Amino acid sequence: MSKLLRRALKISIVPAILLIAGKFIGILCTSIIYNLNFQISNDLNGLFSVQIYYSDASTTLFVNSISNLVMVLFVALPLAYFIIKTTLYHTIAHNPRTIVKMTRFNMLRWITSKDTSFLTMFIWCAFLWVASGVSIAHTLQGSTYPWVGIVAGSLAFIASMFTIKTFEIETDNIYPTEHKYY
Amino acid sequence: MPSQKAQKFKKVLSLVVEPIALGVLALLFIIPTITVMNLSPITKKLQELNVLGANTQTTVSVTLVGGKHPILTEENLNKISDTSYEYSTLVAGRNADSYSKPIVEIKNNTDKAQKVSFYGQTANQTQSNIYLRTDDDDTAKKLQDDKGQTYIQEISVDPSSKVVVFLSVENQNGINFSTQFDMQIKVVENL
Repeated sequence: MSKLLRRALKISIVPAILLIAGKFIGILCTSIIYNLNFQISNDLNGLFSVQIYYSDASTTLFVNSISNLVMVLFVALPLAYFIIKTTLYHTIAHNPRTIVKMTRFNMLRWITSKDTSFLTMFIWCAFLWVASGVSIAHTLQGSTYPWVGIVAGSLAFIASMFTIKTFEIETDNIYPTEHKYY
Repeated sequence: MPSQKAQKFKKVLSLVVEPIALGVLALLFIIPTITVMNLSPITKKLQELNVLGANTQTTVSVTLVGGKHPILTEENLNKISDTSYEYSTLVAGRNADSYSKPIVEIKNNTDKAQKVSFYGQTANQTQSNIYLRTDDDDTAKKLQDDKGQTYIQEISVDPSSKVVVFLSVENQNGINFSTQFDMQIKVVENL
């Protein structure tokens, strides 16, 4: 088995778990905080038989929106951490001021190649696309507030931009542009 | 020789494992997506369950059908107690004709037949005949005649079944004013 595939499998496990956990925790916490009655029951019509039911449409809309937002944030926040870390890691090589600033804020341990590879960011970004896709699909179906879909879409777009930027930086290291090479 | 065999075995194994690993990677994306879609809550009337998980509803429920009607407007249904309801509607001005609308749905959640009584009248004398009909029995049950005389009517609902009740208004002459119609709905007894 190739090293790349093995790493991809290893990296994919955590965001996959976080995606499901985010949705489940979102539903559970919203129901507990707002004291909402729900029922877990069997529905043989769907792909899976277990379904969560709420008594009225407005409660369902509210819980679905909040749980979708929590799910997106569960994937987006670690990805934001990777983006910041990668940005710092690559900026530091060309900008001594950043080193000074990071020393002042006692963040020197952030300057490490760990978690700053393109593969890590790409896989996390792919899971963010999945989470955003689900949220946007629910928004279009009218089962989630529109602002949740907009936030999810915006986060996915911003993360994609940073992932592309990381890809460019990494390919630049392998195939340097002419002005850097000479 | 043994190392060559081992290398060959490793090569064959990697050829087998690689597609499986790719499948697992794909599943790592597909399974969370389907799970998340499935976890999305849906709306359904929650059942009242007892500690054993058996449904033990023992009531007769009356619900408003609703909807729009040109003559029977501003419908309202108030629950007074578990066995008593008050229905009201505004009967608008109309031409000489017969008008009908489904007004309430009676659901018998018990394991015995239930009798439900109806008693209603208009606020003003309109020289109209007012009847009740049900979806399973088209016989007209007169609530008020054209002279203003009122009658109590009863409808029987079978165990674990529901009946939709229609209100019919018939008048020989055109009527130019609206009038309020009030009706008491009571669950009489177990049959």
